[in-house]
Amino acid sequence: MDRSEIKEKIAALGEVDILVGIPSYNSAKTIVHVVKAVEAGLSKYFPHCKSLLVNSDGGSSDGTMEAVRDTTVDLESILVNRKADQFRKFVTPYHGIPGKGSAFRTIFEIAHALNVKACVVVDSDLRSITPEWIELLVKPVLEDHYDYVSPYYMRHKYDGTITNSIVYPLTRALYGKQIRQPIGGDFGFSGELASFYLTKDVWETDVARFGIDIWMTTTAVANGFKICQAFLGAKIHDAKDPGSDLSAMLHQVVSSVFNLMEEYAGVWHDITQSEPVKTFGFVYSVGLEPIHVNLENMIEKFRIGVRDLDVLYQAFLPDELLGTLHRLAEAPKEAFTFPDRNWVWLIFHFALACHRRVMSTEHIIKSLTPLYLGKVASFVIETWNSSAEEVERRLEELCLTFEREKPALIKIWTQEG
Amino acid sequence: MEDLLDKIITEPLRNFLEKLAHFLPNLIAALIVFSIGLILASAVKVVTQKLFKFLKLDSLCNRMGLSETMQKMALTESPEHLIGRFFYWLTAIIFFVIALYLLELPAIEQLLEKLLLYLPNVLIAAVILVVGFVFGNFLGRATLIASVNAGIGFAGFLCRAVKTIIVLLAFVMAMEQLGIARGTVLAAFTIIFGGLVFALALAFGLGGKDIARKYLERRFKLEDTEQGQDDEIKHI
Repeated sequence: MDRSEIKEKIAALGEVDILVGIPSYNSAKTIVHVVKAVEAGLSKYFPHCKSLLVNSDGGSSDGTMEAVRDTTVDLESILVNRKADQFRKFVTPYHGIPGKGSAFRTIFEIAHALNVKACVVVDSDLRSITPEWIELLVKPVLEDHYDYVSPYYMRHKYDGTITNSIVYPLTRALYGKQIRQPIGGDFGFSGELASFYLTKDVWETDVARFGIDIWMTTTAVANGFKICQAFLGAKIHDAKDPGSDLSAMLHQVVSSVFNLMEEYAGVWHDITQSEPVKTFGFVYSVGLEPIHVNLENMIEKFRIGVRDLDVLYQAFLPDELLGTLHRLAEAPKEAFTFPDRNWVWLIFHFALACHRRVMSTEHIIKSLTPLYLGKVASFVIETWNSSAEEVERRLEELCLTFEREKPALIKIWTQEG
Repeated sequence: MEDLLDKIITEPLRNFLEKLAHFLPNLIAALIVFSIGLILASAVKVVTQKLFKFLKLDSLCNRMGLSETMQKMALTESPEHLIGRFFYWLTAIIFFVIALYLLELPAIEQLLEKLLLYLPNVLIAAVILVVGFVFGNFLGRATLIASVNAGIGFAGFLCRAVKTIIVLLAFVMAMEQLGIARGTVLAAFTIIFGGLVFALALAFGLGGKDIARKYLERRFKLEDTEQGQDDEIKHI
């Protein structure tokens, strides 16, 4: 299907109030549950609204698109009545760089063309999505006129480690909003914000891949859109894109964060502290299955990184920090603790190195991978016997360290122009 | 007797003086042109250095790893200064060649013709070498990071190997371009490269056969029997 064909089909859809987008790639196993939850949620909570489910697929070969088309929900069994023709599905391949961001671009384009009131995007690998997610992500937009609804879930303490160690504390310190899952992947937003996203020329960058989530959140915050969170319960999902390795994922996410730091330097330089954002939903604790962590492997990769990448780090890390890294690399597993302040300054120096362009940005950020694994290993050792609440408190300490050190970062950033 | 003296001394002397009278203005003109060339070369050097300073060439070379390579080659001057120096000599040589042409000496003219025809080869060879160094550094660094992230213990060796092979290849290509010992350089490269691969194969197959066996056993047995022992951490 080419773009003109897609446009014709979209025009034929007529008026739509709510659009739910699901990006996918070879997700036939999990997407059926997601489609059922979305249809049930729209029918149950928004029976009078015209709604559309859009599956934006990256060329799946496992029958994902067919699975979406063929999935139906027995609404009677969940005690839901729906007016005829209120819910429709639209399945389309997306164009551009293969990745989640390109899939979202197609969803934004359809939302813009149909002038929808509210839009939701949910991942296709979710195993814990319920119809209530749709209510929680749409209602703040339709009824309370929020522009952006970020998800807030209960996750395993070692799930989303890039979020916990880098993205959440850094974006919170930079932009002053305590959005707990800025790259959660399941968002609600207004039609106006979808149109605003389309005005940005970022679709040939890492935003077109895994960078899309942090880009959406930061763009909404930095441009003054009205933000809130919705508590969605537990998040259980498959590992993202098993084909892509950790350093590629880390690069896509972190380079998007650093690029946004450049774009919105004028915004984050003026913010001195963070504030909580309004959270909708009934917050409760969730029991999550334990997971296996290969600590030795992570520590070994950290040691190899410190030993072999030292020649690169010397170009942008100060001697004091390099000394700490070497001492940590020599420490036994029991004494393997990565201090928060060192971690914060490590991230700041990586951001400054990208800002100064001391070498290829891809090389700078990919060389962060072993150090990130060291921080994760240190966090796992430290919190092995901790409860979810204790881990949250521990993360709060890390966030506060980022906030405390931020003025010094601004000073260096400004001095270097 | 007078005729003889005229034939042996006066006529050659007259001829010599005539030629000298014809050559001297050319020599003076050549010296003036060359002097102007030297002054102009100094001006070009200053302008070029300022231009490349404005374009931040030094930081660009740092990013590409070229400065690091230059330091290893004992080139302590900054790339901006080196480029300025290069343009100084280029301008000086051009004016030197013009000055030589002004002398109107057939032997020198022939020599210059050959030199001018050869000059593009020197420039192309220089470009090949610079591109080879930059590309070798970039790929070496990419190999180093990728190997470290894959947990390979000999990442440093891989990085150096990639860098050396690319620089060596660039050197052979440059020599080929210059036409210096074409067959010899190419044969030497083929022998060295082939020998390296053969030596590595022998070392790995004979000397390190136990290590290789253990490595392969560990790798494949681990994948077969210890599935699920990897991290279940979901980073995103």
